[in-house]
Amino acid sequence: MSIASLSLEQAPPISVPFRFFLSAPLFLLLAALALLAAGPDALQSRWTPALLGITHLLTLGCMGMVMSGAMMQLLPVLAGTPVPNPRGVAWAIHLPLLAGSALLGGGLYSGATLPIILAVPLLAFAFAVFLGLSVYSLAVRAQAHNATTRAMLMALVALLFTIVLGLLLAAAITGLLDLPMPQLAALHVGWGLLGWTALLVIGVAYQVVPMFQLTPPYPKAVARWLGGTLFALLLLWSFHPLLPEPASGILALVAACGLAACVAAFSVITLRLQHKRRRKVPDITMEFWRTGLACLLAASVLWLAGQLSGALADSTFYPLALGILFLVGFALSVIQGMLYKIVSFLVWFHLQGKLPVGKTPNMKDIISDRAARRHWRAHLISLPFCLAAALWPWPWVYAAGGALLLGAALLLANLARASNLYRHALANGHGAGHPEK
Amino acid sequence: MTENSPAAVRELDARYLEPPEPMMRALAALGALRPGEKLRLLLHREPFPLYQTLGERGYTHRTAQLPDGCYEILIWR
Repeated sequence: MSIASLSLEQAPPISVPFRFFLSAPLFLLLAALALLAAGPDALQSRWTPALLGITHLLTLGCMGMVMSGAMMQLLPVLAGTPVPNPRGVAWAIHLPLLAGSALLGGGLYSGATLPIILAVPLLAFAFAVFLGLSVYSLAVRAQAHNATTRAMLMALVALLFTIVLGLLLAAAITGLLDLPMPQLAALHVGWGLLGWTALLVIGVAYQVVPMFQLTPPYPKAVARWLGGTLFALLLLWSFHPLLPEPASGILALVAACGLAACVAAFSVITLRLQHKRRRKVPDITMEFWRTGLACLLAASVLWLAGQLSGALADSTFYPLALGILFLVGFALSVIQGMLYKIVSFLVWFHLQGKLPVGKTPNMKDIISDRAARRHWRAHLISLPFCLAAALWPWPWVYAAGGALLLGAALLLANLARASNLYRHALANGHGAGHPEK
Repeated sequence: MTENSPAAVRELDARYLEPPEPMMRALAALGALRPGEKLRLLLHREPFPLYQTLGERGYTHRTAQLPDGCYEILIWR
């Protein structure tokens, strides 16, 4: 990827990505509090209102915020030109996403339809702006197309499917339309997790793993084929019900096994690359990545086992554990780990362009490794607690909720400290005259 | 950093460091150059973001790829 355009003139103001990044831990806090408030009842099945609400606080509020903020930062780099009116665009995405996620999460949690009805146009608007901007930047304006931009474009198509399916589900849940909810929900989850989330992480990994973790590059064949194969298998998996039996059942099994193999291959290849890295210095972002990849591998093994054992697939534990391993274990780990790198980098990057040489703090001092490591430990502990809670909701749900709450609080504190450091450095340095660029 | 007389070329090996460490070290080394001196920078990737910064700060550079795949960038003002 050519990153020739990474300069202060091209980059959006720091407030653009930061409003998204600082909102994410608030939703994580809210999700943890909601889990504690709902208690063991939340985990009686994957369909409890409390769990649906908590899941959407995590996916839309926490993950969605970080993903949108990071894309706002990345798009001008990939497209080679700045996003026009970045502050206006950030408002148009951030505010409706913030309100929509809170309303949808709250509505699902409480079983009230009004907040869900209010959330729908807000979220539809936020994602329409986000998708329009992203697809335009990547497909029309991007100078170079490579494995990363291709994976991102497929991820964006998957996001579009996820949102359309989500809107249909919202219409069904509020009684506006009569639709087969379990089938739609399966597609919504499949495209949201294996499509949007996994494809985006894979596309980003092609760049950030070799660059920041100093590993050899991904094998060319992997970079060329993995994303497209995953996307094609998701299409097959989605359309299998249209075929007559037994072709339908066979196709579903083949697609599901293929999907498991794709994500497992991505985990194993990335873990191997990280093992071969040049400098074996401790790095908190990589600890988060390793945690995430191990959970992704575990999720793919569990999903495969679920395809082969009907008893496992029908258990209450199975969908809960899959969700925990993928969302909390994989997605949240990788996202939080990258957040530390991105936030430290952005603070350093914006300060070095504004302060005299020698006045910029070292990037490593912006968020201390010790503070980030404390958060990682809390996050790590939350994983076995969440899995235990999927088996024995009482009393483990409280341990899981407590650990998630602690992790969210530590993340918020670490990010807020970095944001304050930026403000103070600007106020004390020569850049005080133009603090917001 | 080592002094490379007699050509008044200072050398900075920033290979296999995590971004943005190479750029930070390069900018610090450039700040420490005396008039007429040049900086020979060794990196494991081509530093596209650095070029922009160099241009903005009035430096000229010449890049050559080394046989081992690393890059040598000669920078002067």
